[in-house]
Amino acid sequence: MRASRCLIWPLSLLHICLTVIATSYEQFDEDLVLTPLPDGKVSAAFTFTTLLYGAAPRDPHTLNSPDESQHYTLFPLALGQLLREHAVTELHLALNAGNWNYARWGSPPDPAVGTGGELWAWMGTEGPTSIDARWRGLRNSLAGLFCASLGALDAVRTTAPAAAFPPEGALPSWRGAHDNGTTTSGAHEIRHASLPAEHVCTENLTPFLKLLPCKAQSGLAALLNPHRLFGADWHGLGVHVRWVADAGVEVRLSFQGVFDPLRAPGARGKSDWSLHSLFDRTVSRSCPVATTSAIRVALPNSDSYSLVPEPASAAGGVAVYDVHTAAKPLNVALSYPNTFNYPSSYASNSTPFSVKRTLTGTSQAWGRLSVRITNHRSEEMHVLYLETMPWLLQFHLHTLTARVDGVLDDTAISHLTYTPAIAHARPTMLQAVVRLPPRATVQLSMDVAKAFLRYTEHPPDAQRGWDLPPAVLVPVNVSSPLGQTGVRGAGAFVPTGPRVYTSTLLVDLATPDFSMPYNVIIFTCTLVAGIFGTVFNTLTRRWVIVRVKA
Amino acid sequence: MPSTSSSSSPSTPSPDLPATLHDPKSPFYQQVSLRRAIIASYWTIILLAVPLWWYTTSIERLALPSGRVQQLAQHSLELPVSICVEGPRIPFIDKIQVQLSKQISQDPQRWKGIAPRLFGSTDCEKSSGNKVYSVKFTSTTGTSIHHRQLHFPPNTAPSTIVEVLSSLLVPYSSSRDSKHRIVQYAPHYRLAFSLLNEDAAAGDVVKDWNIQAELRNYINPITRRLGALHNFTVESQVQFHAPLAFPPRPLDHSWGITPADLTVFVNSAEWTLSSSSSNDPVLHFILFIPSAERRPLVILTDTEGTVSPSSAFLVPQWGGIVIHNPTSISSSGTLPDHDVSTVFAAFATQFQSLLGVAALPRGVHAPEGLSAWQLDALTRRRTLENAQGSQDTLASIVKLVDQIENMPVGADVRDDVEDALAALQDMRDAAPVSLAQAFARSATALGLASRAFFNPGMLALLYFPAEHTYAVYTPLFASALIPLVVAALREFMAWKRERREAALMKAAP
Repeated sequence: MRASRCLIWPLSLLHICLTVIATSYEQFDEDLVLTPLPDGKVSAAFTFTTLLYGAAPRDPHTLNSPDESQHYTLFPLALGQLLREHAVTELHLALNAGNWNYARWGSPPDPAVGTGGELWAWMGTEGPTSIDARWRGLRNSLAGLFCASLGALDAVRTTAPAAAFPPEGALPSWRGAHDNGTTTSGAHEIRHASLPAEHVCTENLTPFLKLLPCKAQSGLAALLNPHRLFGADWHGLGVHVRWVADAGVEVRLSFQGVFDPLRAPGARGKSDWSLHSLFDRTVSRSCPVATTSAIRVALPNSDSYSLVPEPASAAGGVAVYDVHTAAKPLNVALSYPNTFNYPSSYASNSTPFSVKRTLTGTSQAWGRLSVRITNHRSEEMHVLYLETMPWLLQFHLHTLTARVDGVLDDTAISHLTYTPAIAHARPTMLQAVVRLPPRATVQLSMDVAKAFLRYTEHPPDAQRGWDLPPAVLVPVNVSSPLGQTGVRGAGAFVPTGPRVYTSTLLVDLATPDFSMPYNVIIFTCTLVAGIFGTVFNTLTRRWVIVRVKA
Repeated sequence: MPSTSSSSSPSTPSPDLPATLHDPKSPFYQQVSLRRAIIASYWTIILLAVPLWWYTTSIERLALPSGRVQQLAQHSLELPVSICVEGPRIPFIDKIQVQLSKQISQDPQRWKGIAPRLFGSTDCEKSSGNKVYSVKFTSTTGTSIHHRQLHFPPNTAPSTIVEVLSSLLVPYSSSRDSKHRIVQYAPHYRLAFSLLNEDAAAGDVVKDWNIQAELRNYINPITRRLGALHNFTVESQVQFHAPLAFPPRPLDHSWGITPADLTVFVNSAEWTLSSSSSNDPVLHFILFIPSAERRPLVILTDTEGTVSPSSAFLVPQWGGIVIHNPTSISSSGTLPDHDVSTVFAAFATQFQSLLGVAALPRGVHAPEGLSAWQLDALTRRRTLENAQGSQDTLASIVKLVDQIENMPVGADVRDDVEDALAALQDMRDAAPVSLAQAFARSATALGLASRAFFNPGMLALLYFPAEHTYAVYTPLFASALIPLVVAALREFMAWKRERREAALMKAAP
């Protein structure tokens, strides 16, 4: 044993030296984009990017052997440990509250705006531990790290929608043979789950801030004031990890919010805003380890306005402040001379298409799911429609109909992929390509059955119905016929735009009265005892003739 | 009303009634034997269902080998240590032996589980089983250690030899201090090195500390030597905002931390030190760089403001902290190599101290670093600790299972307990032959015993007390059983009366 240790030692030393050379560089950039929106609100998008140069995701084949040491300067150690522990190549976590209003606000800076929690990860499929075991470990670790109920994203909610969620970075191939005689093909799979009832709040923001090199003490992150962020009309945080093949592992932490300056006290009908009015804080110190630290303000295009202080540069309708060089405390303020007038209508072409999903029917057993997709462009478009529905709602696929501007048209749906639900075990995954004729509205509708739950499956909360995850629509290019894979592992469709989420749905399922279980037991027992007694009595009754003297 | 119904009164059988109904006992369903068969079949089903009910509701409680566990607690483990004294004559060796025995009898707690024996050079060959330590009197440069050999200068007094031997063999005093400082045994530790800047935005930020080279120089030699006892995973991070939970006390030209402040120095709420990916215990090593506005930051030994010469301190069973006031930081934010080396030398000392590596006795030097004597002393200590720990855990399991009648004991728990007992037995067998093997067995036993103790299956039914069962079952069973019991009793009485009447009839004529 000692002899082998001696042999291994120089090798591992060499390995460590190589790792040193490889991971000798980390870079951190922070960025805040402030955009006035057409309805007088202001969108703020924080992006914190840490790039670990030269690093590569862990090969799941090496999960049984001890991992290399992790030495980080700017990269968050807690996240790094988790990624290596479960050999995750790409990870996306989004926790949002509210409904992103595509019609008024346009496309969001970060497309992951589905209401509630959403987690998806690309992982290598081979190796000593199965991908599902690692997925379970990953969501439990993340649940612990972010204090969110991600542990509830179990097999009942997990799907593998590879086409709608293609990898954002590269997937390593790990090709070749290993020491232990196994060979790698580098195959990757996606695991995706969403939890629409999850609410993002301070307890999620605190661990999020701890992943940043400057926490909330200096730099742009100092603006992340939970009292203001969680009062915003819409807010959400995101964690995105990907591997950039010729650079390294990139972690992008993002926080988005839509604030309403008109609602602020003393607004007097003007949509003026400043960093102080939005966040109740200003940038007083810059983060010393940030390579770039910029505040970008998208300038309003029509109104007369004044922006203070003077930006370092203002090109292409965007004013840029460099936090490192700007005078501190930095309080960017945009003010208008006139009061804000709500537009009578919003430009319908801010997004290429819009979508509305509803669940109809009053019964607790049946309903009808209807999705209306409107094409705002004057050319034909294809969108990939994806439903990852928990088994609470079961689709009757044979009733699926498509109507183009009210006229039945079966050719509107193609490339249908359907994974039926298994009660108590697996969700439905329905994926189809919908053809949207120019400036037309396509309505898909389908009968659905509502599930009847076991009493242990009801949550111990006050009953408010069940939240159903948003559907996802991705504009795609379907020029390549089915079967030829465009992106590896991502199916046959090449996305041509960002994902669009529908709003969540609330379904009312048959719910027992949990307030008096013991009474129910007593009633049932009385009934059973009554029936039993009657039957038993009838079977064993002795008839006698009693002669009564008249 | 009664007058009209009297015509169809049941007392007078109507003429159109079938003949069989004139005698109510004549239809087949009114036969006594059938009725009794029906009642009997009810009872048969109930009686047959009882074992099934018993089987489906009973808790699996396998018998634990409690006798063997108790038996084990009565025998204490003895680790023999053979020391070969080369050179001097027998009377001299006897003198050492007598003094050593005297020491042992004075402090038996310290020598518990260790049985040293001295041999003259002629007997050394015979006692070749265990690793033999040897004492030689050939040194020219004071007392020194080479592997398992101890070199004394010639003509060393027996009392000195006994003193050195005892502090090499049992360096741990029985005081509580060392017991509380040393971390509990675990097969795998994570070493987390953190460079904490109190406030990077105040300027003079340390961004890089060239940790890989320092780990290679200071930490890896120790982890390599201790590889037989523990495995280690090393990780490091740098933080740029790690505020203290208390304001340091301003002094004339510096800032001071009082002994009371040291107890709350680690600010767990603000410093992101905990790691979430595994259950292995973590040893933290923290290099704390005070804010540029609060330098130099020094440790005070009392409340009067006496400055301690040391800038490092140890948090028992948790890790070590070094406060470093940098004088020169390069523009790239790298600490000078010399400074980092000083810090890591302190970390190495803290690391050894936390793991229980004893310091060499005064005046003894070991050119090869961590000596075999120290390592063996640690291994013996860990073996005894693990053996005691696993015995205690096994005894606790047996006691707990005896106390709580609802606690299930599955096959996995029983197997773990039995395997732990087997490992303890193996450890006893291996103890006279090989210390390394005895240690390995003791670690296995401890692991198995803790796994059995923390088996989640043992908690399964604790929260479903018997009262709930009665509360749920009584409304059904009480109301269903009463007619059954009454019917059975009535039939039994009828049957007895029939027998008595039959006997009377028989006796009458």
